[in-house]
Amino acid sequence: MASEARTPLLEFRGVDTYYGRIQVLKGVDYEVYPQEIVCLLGGNASGKSTTMKTILGIVRPAKGEVLFEGRVINGLRTSERVKLGIATVPENRRLFPHLTVLENLEMGAYTRNDTAGIAEDLDRVYELYPRVYERRNQRAGTLSGGEQQMVAFGRALMSRPKLIIMDEPSMGLAPALVDQSFDTIAEINRQGVSIFVVEQNATAALSIADRGYVLQNGRVVMRGSAQELLANEELKRAYLGG
Amino acid sequence: MAAFTQTVRSAFTKVPRWVYLTAAWVLAALFPVLNALDLVQTAWIRVGVLSLLFALLALGLNIIMGETGLLNLGYIAFFAFGAYTTALLSSPKFDLHWPFAALIVVSALVAMLGGFLIGLPTLRLRGDYLAIVTLAFGEIVRLTIVNVPTLTNGPNGITGIDFLKPLGPGVTARLQSAGLPQAVSNLLTIDKPTEYYYLVLVCVALGALLLSNLKNSRVGRAWNALREDELAAVSSGITASRMKLLSVLLSSAIAGFAGSLYAYYSNVISPESFIFMQSVIVVCMVVLGGMGSIPGVILGAIVLQALPQVIRESAGAARSEFEVYRMLVFGVIIVAMVVLRPEGLLPDKLWRGQAHEADPRELERTRQTLFDLEEGEQDLEA
Repeated sequence: MASEARTPLLEFRGVDTYYGRIQVLKGVDYEVYPQEIVCLLGGNASGKSTTMKTILGIVRPAKGEVLFEGRVINGLRTSERVKLGIATVPENRRLFPHLTVLENLEMGAYTRNDTAGIAEDLDRVYELYPRVYERRNQRAGTLSGGEQQMVAFGRALMSRPKLIIMDEPSMGLAPALVDQSFDTIAEINRQGVSIFVVEQNATAALSIADRGYVLQNGRVVMRGSAQELLANEELKRAYLGG
Repeated sequence: MAAFTQTVRSAFTKVPRWVYLTAAWVLAALFPVLNALDLVQTAWIRVGVLSLLFALLALGLNIIMGETGLLNLGYIAFFAFGAYTTALLSSPKFDLHWPFAALIVVSALVAMLGGFLIGLPTLRLRGDYLAIVTLAFGEIVRLTIVNVPTLTNGPNGITGIDFLKPLGPGVTARLQSAGLPQAVSNLLTIDKPTEYYYLVLVCVALGALLLSNLKNSRVGRAWNALREDELAAVSSGITASRMKLLSVLLSSAIAGFAGSLYAYYSNVISPESFIFMQSVIVVCMVVLGGMGSIPGVILGAIVLQALPQVIRESAGAARSEFEVYRMLVFGVIIVAMVVLRPEGLLPDKLWRGQAHEADPRELERTRQTLFDLEEGEQDLEA
């Protein structure tokens, strides 16, 4: 899918990120092309969450460039990036627990003003998840883990994004729900949304991904197509549990 | 028993909200009539004025605390900013006598400036840290008032604040000398408790109207989202610093506005009225009534302001004893509330049960969930 001639939707060029004096990302390069699912693997403290925060602009790179659709977005605030088409499914989903499901979904469309378009997208989310429709007036905090996951995906879709970044979408879900959750990611991708997903569950993530990166101590130590990574012996030992 | 409470509950939830609202406002508006008929002493009208002033304060604090989720333990400082601004500009202290219309605005603006100064550096803080900083801010403001006597008369306070003349002193004097009938001319100066009562009641009504509109706007939703989960809110495209600052500015403006009315009403102000305990009491009003619930916090303010007076009156001979135990009674009430009804007297979600429902079955389910929650079920499964 990835053709090098096309402009990447999202690109990191030699990005360094610091928390105070501690360097987290060290000269990192990523590309996510339109329509792709790209998976980011790595152990604890390897810089995965920092990558997510850098994409959103919650953390700013000290060096290097973050580009979206070929344009440098280093200086943009989070809200402006959301408007460009970057949505998030944060770690642990992080719904607004005391707001209703509908209110949570509406928050996803916070940066939009097109009432008709928002209503349309709301219908699309309800179509994708009839369960969410049933629960729309319930407080989000009272839903089960699987239902919360659906709302988190729905909330991300409500901004009509070009790219959704996901931080550990399978975390804390019952095993039966994990597969379902990856099916949904693939389904969202088929509708034309690119996905950059951080995941511990490497096998499941690579099974739906086009390409992947492996992050270690803030550096990209491996990159390649999902098939290459799945076949890699070293990676198998380190992340794939076998 | 269970069946009985069920009946009471369904009776409560079946009556539409506007019936309760109208009834409450009508009762509030009729209260001074009881005084005119000599059924209630004027002292109770004064209690009413203070209760309503505190309702205004509680509405303001509710914006930051209830809607945006930022604890503020020095809120009374903004009330002090408003009160002192009005007092200094309309008293013999500097022989300035600004008109009411200007002062009410300037007082709110000065309080907003105070909010801006404390808000800017502290908005990144959360929870405990924010509580400590705002507490310190409140005390610094009070101690400054005490220790700068050239400006504030220190602990003696400021006396002889002008009468509240809505049309301003000049116009009022001219109209009066033009031979206006006494009855009409009296109305041009607000000085009787009943007049203040209606003035503040109208302000509370306008405040409640403004806030309930705001609550259902994009701004209100953004505040709620920040309260619930800041990271998720920011990821949805909310600019946290801007929305929090807006919340602080608006709530301090309301406190300044209330402070101005308070200065006119009490005629004398001194630093004692702005001690830390007052901040705590306003926080208690919001918690007791139900954080984020507009009718709730108004009710909370009235209950906490009027209740001590009611108890004092009924204490009879033990009156002076009661003063000693007043804060103890407060503490017991708050602890009891937190244990028995943590969502407050009039919880927001219960009040706004119909927010999005079209289907009556949905309505019933939401109500059911709410009542289950109150009965102590786990709020979040997470």
